[in-house]
Amino acid sequence: MKALGIDVGSLTTKAVILDDDGILASSIVSSGDEAELSAKAALEQTLNQAGLSFDDNLYIISTGVGGKSISFSQQQKALTTCLARGSHYLFPSVRMTIEMGAESSTIIKVNERGRLSDWANQDKCAAGSGIFLQQMAKLMEMSLADMAQLSFKAKSKADISSTCAVFAESEVISHVHRDPPTPREEIVAGIYFSVVSRIMSLCKRVGIEKDVAVTGGVALNSGLVRILEEEIGFGVMVPDIPQIAAALGAALVARENIEKGIK
Amino acid sequence: MIGSEEKKSRIKTIVRACRLIARMSKGRPEVLESHRIYYQMLADYYDRLLNAQEEGEFVAAHTIFFPVEILYAMDIVPMHTELTAWMTALFSGSYADLLSTSAEVGLAPEICSPYRVLTGALAAGCLPRPNVMLWSNLICDNSAKGGEPVMDMSGCSGFFLDCPFQQTDYENRYLKEELEDMIYFLEKQSGRKMNWDKLSDNIAQSDRQIELYRKINELRQTVPSPFPPQDFLKLFTVDCFFAGQPEATNYLETFHQELLETIRDGRGMASPERFRVMSIGMPPVLLLGAIEKVSLEYGAVSVADPFFCNWGEGRLDPQKPLDSVMKKISMHPVMVMYGPLDERLLDMLINCAKQHKIDGTINYAHVGCKQGAATIKIVKDVLNEIDVPMLILDCDIIDTTIAPEEEIREKLRQFFELLEDR
Repeated sequence: MKALGIDVGSLTTKAVILDDDGILASSIVSSGDEAELSAKAALEQTLNQAGLSFDDNLYIISTGVGGKSISFSQQQKALTTCLARGSHYLFPSVRMTIEMGAESSTIIKVNERGRLSDWANQDKCAAGSGIFLQQMAKLMEMSLADMAQLSFKAKSKADISSTCAVFAESEVISHVHRDPPTPREEIVAGIYFSVVSRIMSLCKRVGIEKDVAVTGGVALNSGLVRILEEEIGFGVMVPDIPQIAAALGAALVARENIEKGIK
Repeated sequence: MIGSEEKKSRIKTIVRACRLIARMSKGRPEVLESHRIYYQMLADYYDRLLNAQEEGEFVAAHTIFFPVEILYAMDIVPMHTELTAWMTALFSGSYADLLSTSAEVGLAPEICSPYRVLTGALAAGCLPRPNVMLWSNLICDNSAKGGEPVMDMSGCSGFFLDCPFQQTDYENRYLKEELEDMIYFLEKQSGRKMNWDKLSDNIAQSDRQIELYRKINELRQTVPSPFPPQDFLKLFTVDCFFAGQPEATNYLETFHQELLETIRDGRGMASPERFRVMSIGMPPVLLLGAIEKVSLEYGAVSVADPFFCNWGEGRLDPQKPLDSVMKKISMHPVMVMYGPLDERLLDMLINCAKQHKIDGTINYAHVGCKQGAATIKIVKDVLNEIDVPMLILDCDIIDTTIAPEEEIREKLRQFFELLEDR
């Protein structure tokens, strides 16, 4: 029986299949209106990669915002539980994971056995989320990758609100149209800092503990991760494919269930 | 302005609903007799309030944790402002309207929602007009300001009972003078004299009731827990409404006996009972059923509510009724929890967690409660030291738009998964 995890996020859906040696295949697809269809698409892509099919013996755990709507999963698990398993598998020394997703940020504490010991999340406001960064990139008329590169050139940062995405947007517009305009790299650094300061307040809520991993799509943003490291005071670990940490964790829970004989 | 008949209809809704529940509970073996008694008591409380003015009775509105033994001793009809506003909102399903009315009269959403509902209920004319308003700083800034809108909107006079947080001799003397002044005020306003013998009787009843609260709380240490998790709210309401009254003693004695029988039969609230939970703060009252349902899916049972059930040490002396009123204020669980945050409180929480064999704590962090917010981190750290994880569940006691049901369910699921994983 193969262990499979699916994380249905608000922007992307991720799937991971495990075999005895580790990750056999993984995929990331855009989330559509229906979680079930997105999950099927991710599953199909992953099964194709692994040379498997729906008819094979699969044990599926689903997680994420749409995880509960998946009819073909044997069990649904909370994102926090799966993140703990996934990040511990990737980095056994990790004690805290910062998951920065499209619409929310979640901070988890992980014990030495890869079990969740505490968490805090922010899902009330777009400020601090991946979608917020996408909006800012649109406003700055550049790609997310270019924004990240530009931030490395900043010598200081513009003041951008960290409490409200709407205020932050109008502040960025005012920086752009100021005479003389605020240097673009400083605006970008300010945007990243506003995201990081929200993340830091969540981290402090559960207590910062080394080693720290950063997962989720936003972890691909090297400029933001650098500012996060400056604020947190030490280097953080970023997996090669940070988006799949929760799906990986779900697959690990599926494998545990297979071993325990849980149907 | 709403007419007196319409005002009456809101209170009538409570009376009718409570009577109906009490009637439907009768003769059903699966429903506890204490449940029936409780709703009959509520129906009687509101029935008396409903007819008070016509029968020439004197009505005193009062804020939360007020010593109602004094009012009953003077034959004054009490009207608990916050709980009456809540019940009006809950039984008539109008909490959203009342919150919206409170916004129209200028109350910001950051203000504690029970007080917003109270103001909304007053502005909408849903509460009977009291003869006087009694309010105090028991136990927060909201209650300290809670009397003014009642007086403004009802056009009645009022008395503010200034209750010190500390209990030194000096402060106790001050509180006693405050109580004496309040009695003088009530005598003058109502034309009724304080019946000191009756107050002594009420204090004797309250002393017995506190003994029963303690005994009931002790029974919750039993594994599996025999205590219906939502019933902490009944205990809370019984003290708020009926302190010192024989019907409250009857209710508590019946409930205590029922718990003993449940224990004797080896029955528990969850089967199997997997997680024993301590609840801190008031859960969202409209979501109590949903919270219990999710909890039971995981075999989790709330077995301790220190905010409402952990009475402080001491006895009341009917021979010294006013001193006993003061003593009771200092012993009240909420006073212990919301009084000065010191080692006494933290030790109590640790002991409570140990005695009740707690696996995890849920802190219902009511967004409108600034005092509660200040204690969250300290309480969490203290419980972490004894390896009891704590979920901070940001929510609102009444306003479900702050944290909707699905969000609450999801966070609880995450927490119970955390407990499962340990």
